[in-house]
Amino acid sequence: MAMSQQELIDTLSGLALFADLSRPQVEAVAHKMAEESYPTGQRILRQGFTGTGFYVIVDGEVAVKIDGNEISRLGKGDFFGEMSVLLGEPPVADIVTTRQLRVLHLGGPELEGFLRDYPPVMLRMLKAVATRLRNANRWRS
Amino acid sequence: MRYRAAVALSDEQKAKFLGDVPLFAGISAESMSRLAAVAGEQDFTAGQFIVRQGQVGTGLYVIVDGSVQVVRGADDVLATLTAGDFFGELSVIDQQPRNASVQAAQPTTVLAVASWDLLALLEQDPALSLNLIKGLVVRVRAAGEQHRH
Amino acid sequence: MAELSERPFPPGDYPVVVVGSGPGGIQASYYLRHLGIDHAVISADPVPGGMFRRFPFFQRLLSWTKPYGPVPRDDRFYYWYDWNSLLAEEPENRALMPDLMDGTSSFPSRPEMELNLATFVERTGLKIRYDTSWESTSREGERFVLHTSDGDYRCQVAIFAVGVAKPYKPDTPGFDLVAHYVDTRPAATYAGKRLFIVGKENSGFELATGLLQWAQRIVLASPRPAKLSVNSHSLAGIRARYVLPVEDEILGGGVFFLNASIARIERMGDSLRVYCVRSDTGMEIAVDADEVIAATGFTCPLQDLQSIGVDVFGRSELPAMTNYWESATVPGIYFAGTIGQGVSGMKKYGLPANSGAVHGARYNARTMVYHVAKQHFGVDVPQPSVLPNSLVDLLLAEATHAPELWNQKSYLARAFSLDPAQGIRDSGVVPLAQFVDEEGAAGVAIAVETDDTGDIHPAVYVRRENKPAVETLLSSQAMHDFRTADNRAQLSEILRGATAGAVR
Repeated sequence: MAMSQQELIDTLSGLALFADLSRPQVEAVAHKMAEESYPTGQRILRQGFTGTGFYVIVDGEVAVKIDGNEISRLGKGDFFGEMSVLLGEPPVADIVTTRQLRVLHLGGPELEGFLRDYPPVMLRMLKAVATRLRNANRWRS
Repeated sequence: MRYRAAVALSDEQKAKFLGDVPLFAGISAESMSRLAAVAGEQDFTAGQFIVRQGQVGTGLYVIVDGSVQVVRGADDVLATLTAGDFFGELSVIDQQPRNASVQAAQPTTVLAVASWDLLALLEQDPALSLNLIKGLVVRVRAAGEQHRH
Repeated sequence: MAELSERPFPPGDYPVVVVGSGPGGIQASYYLRHLGIDHAVISADPVPGGMFRRFPFFQRLLSWTKPYGPVPRDDRFYYWYDWNSLLAEEPENRALMPDLMDGTSSFPSRPEMELNLATFVERTGLKIRYDTSWESTSREGERFVLHTSDGDYRCQVAIFAVGVAKPYKPDTPGFDLVAHYVDTRPAATYAGKRLFIVGKENSGFELATGLLQWAQRIVLASPRPAKLSVNSHSLAGIRARYVLPVEDEILGGGVFFLNASIARIERMGDSLRVYCVRSDTGMEIAVDADEVIAATGFTCPLQDLQSIGVDVFGRSELPAMTNYWESATVPGIYFAGTIGQGVSGMKKYGLPANSGAVHGARYNARTMVYHVAKQHFGVDVPQPSVLPNSLVDLLLAEATHAPELWNQKSYLARAFSLDPAQGIRDSGVVPLAQFVDEEGAAGVAIAVETDDTGDIHPAVYVRRENKPAVETLLSSQAMHDFRTADNRAQLSEILRGATAGAVR
C-alpha cells in the first residue's frame, strides 16, 4: 500500500473535495495536512470526546455509528469531522475503521483558516453539507 | 425598523439592515456594498406565496419586515420566520427544487438576492461561505437529533 | 579470532530479535531483559547511538535535560525534566545525561548524547552484536527469519528500531544533481555561496541557522509557509532556536522564503537553476544557486519488510501499526524508537505526541515490551492492589507528576482496573487510544492533555464493562498541581458512580 508522493497528489486531485484546485494547490494541501494510518476497529471520531479534527479518507472505509448502531459507511474521498469542528461541539457519532484506513488529518483549530485559504474547497464542502441537509429532510427551502 | 410598502430602501439602508443579519456577519465592506446593490426589495401582501414547493430556486430571501410561514404540502406549517430571518439558500447552493413553500402571514417586505449574485459573492468572500456552512451544519445537527428521537 | 568469539548473539534461534542500537533498540532490550525475555540485539553500526552518531549537524539537540529539577535525579519523576536519558528501574542507571553535559546549556550536544547512550549500555551491561547488517527477511511458518551479513536469525517476535534515517529526495527531475541534508559539509565550505534549501521543516531551518553567517544568500522553499512551534503550542513546527532565519527574512538580511513546489532543477554552468511553481499564483519562478540542499526528509529503512506483508504509508514510509506499535498487517513484528511516531493516538486538536523523540519513544518502548511479554510469552507484569479510598489521590498525583503523562500528552495514560471481583488494580501505563476504544473490563485512566488554547489539564476516562470509555476533563491549575479540591470532588463523583460507591 505504499504510495509515492506523486501518487498521493494524483489520488487527492481526483477527490471531489479538491477537484477545483490546481496541482500546486493540491501539493500544498497535502503538505499542510498530516498523513495518518489507522488499523481496523479503531475509532477516529469518538462520541462525546473533545479535540476533534477534520479528516479526508485517502484509502479504506469507516462506519458511522450512533450508540453502537451503524448508520452509514464512508470511503475514499469522503470527509468527516468538520461538523464538530465548525460547531465547536463533540461528535454525536463514532467513526470506526472497518478496515485499514489512510487519511489526511487537519487539526480542528486549523480548519477555518484552511477553508479561507482554499475557497474552492469550502464551496465543495458547502455543497456537500447542503446535500446532507437536504437528505435530512429539513424544511428550509 | 418598520418600512411602509410604498417607500423603497436605499442601498445604504439595505446595507445597514443586512449588516445585522448573522448570515452576513464579518463579510468584507466590498462584499456588503455589492450585496446591498444587488439585493432587490420585494413586497408581499398577506397570503401571497414568496416561493412555492417544487419550484426551481432563483434566490435567497431575507425578511426586512413582516412574517412568513414555511409550509410543506397543503397545510403542514413547519415554522414561522420574522424580520432578520432568511430562507431559500439551500436551493441556491444545490440547485434542487424548493422543498417547502413560504407564504406571507402578514404584509411582508423582503430583500431578494438572485442565485447567480449569491454564488458570485460566495466565491469571492470566504467569510460568507464560512457563515453559510456553519449555519447549515447547525441545521444538519438539529435534523440528525430530530431523527434520533 | 578471539574477538569474534566474544561477540554476543551469534546467528541462530531466539524468542525475540531486536534490530538497531539507537535509543529505541537499547530501551527495548533493557525492558526485555528486565522481564526475563531471552532476545538478541543486532546492529549494523559499530557502536551504540543510532542517529545521534551523526545528527544533528549544527547546534545542539532539541530536547532538554535540566540539571536542577525539583526532584532528585534518580527519582522516576525526574524524567519529566530530562528528555534524553533512557528509562531504568535501578536508580543508579537513571539520569545519566546531566552528568555528561558540560553545563553550558540545558540542551546536550550531539557527542554528549551519543556518550549518554553508550554509557547506558555500558552501565546496564546490555549486550549488542555490532557490525551485523540486517539485509532481508523471510517467513518460516510462525517464525521470522532475518538474513544478516553474519547469517540467519530466527525469531518468534522481531522488533525493528531502525530509525527514520534513510535520506529521501523527490524523484522530480534534477534532484540527482542535488545533495541531501545528510551530506552537508562543514559550514565554512559554504562561505559566500548562494544557497537554496528545499524544505522548510526543522532540518532545513537547522541548516539555514547553521549557515546564516556563511552563505551569501539563503532561499528556503516548500509549498507551504513554515509553522513555528511557539505558535502551535507544541513541538510540531520549527523549534525556537531555529527562528533566526525567520527574523532575518523579516528584516531583509538575505534569507528568502518561497512558498512553491519544485518543478525541476538544471545545471547552468557552475551553478544550478531551480524552477519553482508558486503555491499562490501557480506562476513559475527560476532561482539561481551555487548550492542546493534537499532537506526533504527521510524514510524508514525497512529493507524488504513489505515483501512479507508489512504495509507502509506516508511520505516517510512508516509502517502501519496498532496502538501497541505492532505491524497492522503482520502480527509479531513490532517497532521501537522514532518509528513509533506512525501511531497517531488520539491527536486531539491535531497536536501530535512526542513519539518521534527519545522522551516519548522511551515510554512507548517500555509499554510495547510489556505488551509483547504478555501477548507472546505469557509474562504478566504484577498489578498491585489499590485501596479504594486512595484511588482519587493516586490518580491526581499521577496527573501532576508522572513523566509518562507529561511527555506523551493524550497518548499514554495511567490506568487502573475497576473489576469488582478483583478489586482496584494498577494496570500501569497504557496507550490511551487503546484504553478508550477497547471494550474490555471496567477501568479508569487518567491522562494529561492540552487544548487549542494551550490550557493543560487532566482528562479522566471511565470505562464500564464492555463499553467504550467516557471522557471527563478536569480543571487546570496555574502551577500544574491538579490536586485541587474541585478536581478531587469531581473525580470522587465520577468514580463513585463507576464503582457503585466503593470509591468516594
